[in-house]
Amino acid sequence: MSGKTVRLGAGMAFWGDRVQPAAEMIERADIDYLCCDHLAELTMSILAKQRAKNPEAGYTRDLIDLLRGALPVAVRKGVKIISNAGGANPRAAGERVLELCKELGLSGVRVAVVTGDDIEGDIDRLMDDGVSFTNLDTGAELVTVRERLTHAAVYTGSEGIVEALRLGADVVICGRVTDIALYLGPLIHEFGWASDDWQRLGMATVVAHAIECGGQATGGLYAADWQGVDGLEDLGYPIAEVREDGTAVLTKTPGTGGRVDIGTVSEQLVYEILDPGNYLTADVTADFTQVRLEEVGPDRVLITGGTGKPRPDTLKVNMGYRAGFVGEIVFTYSWPDAPAKARRGIEFLKNRLAAADFRCSAEIVEYLGHTSMFQGRVPPPTDPELPEVVVRYAARCPDAEQARKVFTESVPLYNNGPAGVAGVGTRPPLKELYAIWSCLIPREHVSQSVELLEV
Amino acid sequence: MRVVDLAHGRSGDKGDICNVGLVAYDDAGYQILLREVTEQRVAEHYGDLVTGTVTRYELPGIRSLNFVLTGALDGGGTMSLRSDHLGKVMYAWLLRMEIGDGAIADD
Repeated sequence: MSGKTVRLGAGMAFWGDRVQPAAEMIERADIDYLCCDHLAELTMSILAKQRAKNPEAGYTRDLIDLLRGALPVAVRKGVKIISNAGGANPRAAGERVLELCKELGLSGVRVAVVTGDDIEGDIDRLMDDGVSFTNLDTGAELVTVRERLTHAAVYTGSEGIVEALRLGADVVICGRVTDIALYLGPLIHEFGWASDDWQRLGMATVVAHAIECGGQATGGLYAADWQGVDGLEDLGYPIAEVREDGTAVLTKTPGTGGRVDIGTVSEQLVYEILDPGNYLTADVTADFTQVRLEEVGPDRVLITGGTGKPRPDTLKVNMGYRAGFVGEIVFTYSWPDAPAKARRGIEFLKNRLAAADFRCSAEIVEYLGHTSMFQGRVPPPTDPELPEVVVRYAARCPDAEQARKVFTESVPLYNNGPAGVAGVGTRPPLKELYAIWSCLIPREHVSQSVELLEV
Repeated sequence: MRVVDLAHGRSGDKGDICNVGLVAYDDAGYQILLREVTEQRVAEHYGDLVTGTVTRYELPGIRSLNFVLTGALDGGGTMSLRSDHLGKVMYAWLLRMEIGDGAIADD
């Protein structure tokens, strides 16, 4: 097939991912756009907490690490970078990118900031306007957690990114746009697809889904022939060469580890999807059911057969709220009779906790190496000859005070409990819990804004 | 025979929902998966690990099945007490399921 092709690279899959593949890809692969997803469900809560402490914070700082390596090459080669690293504070992220440009001696870089996803300050007004924010999973009303909310972000679509690119942005920093929008935005901009071209938008959504998790499409986490994937330490990230009809050839950065074939791409296609006939996004309802893959060269897979239907009338809202703390302890018992000692150790801890008026809403005991993956489906260890047994106790507690008891009441195991114990003495950091409140908002209540900053 | 002889897989989270994708190695294997790896069998195989429902979807073009397990992550990735709080290894338990002759429903 001839005609225009737009080359999109996946530079990032989550906050904390490797940042090197991005620069490597821009240098070696002649991509047009680098699309970077920095967010996950929990990430927004963490970022909102950071913003509450410091108004300059609230974006994922690995954006700066990534751009420090990637931006000089991107500017030289005319590659545009699109990212949702703005998280809870896209404007601060944009300002920081401008500072970085100055540090790097780059001038004329146009940085666009896309906002509109953060509705935390509008919740009361929206509720007055009749938006219910009823919990999608439980049917509960928002008032039950209203006081504990940390953030409220709408999964927004590609419109803001398209507008930013139309304005000539070189770097686009968004908040909570969908992972898919990071990829659809440049394609809509380049191909001029109509906003109701469900066929192409659906196909392109399948392509975006295939590469949005970075190394998971190029041999990372490959469950089939995992021993046959070379160079995992230097895994190349995926690239989609997208055609005007939305179909694409998937490949990766030349000269890197990993591989792209039907197996690696298939696994990624079935990752984190629900009904493949109705994959809901802010831009389109995509249909994966007839997707086909064909190997058309080394590390080259043609992807076709995706389609789509009208986008939903509502957008998904992801709110986070404080939900207590986890109290957790891990300790190890040695031979002889390690399993029996571990059981007695847990019994000791539970009895001590009960005596300390401990309160929790849930607790778990995992025998690591035996029952931590498939709890309840495999038996705990019993063999008295086992050289060691590691046991983990964790509880969801209403507050930090209760959670701390898990540690303090386990410390006596060091000299009061069964013999042969290790690992009790180090106080683990307390983990605060953020629950997710998923709900919907009619899309007419949400609009994106684009602001262009320039060095 | 076990599912692992016919397919590979991947799993992940959406809130308290875990999805488990199975990818058959060939067409013949896919046909066996379609016949043997039913919603009911999968629900029995996961037992208490899944407190909600099991729904199966088909992707014939890539010889894949997608299972959607609700109430499968102890409240979801941000709340779960489990070591595998994001359900990254839930697929592996399905690969262990016995199918065909001599299969035991409850493994």
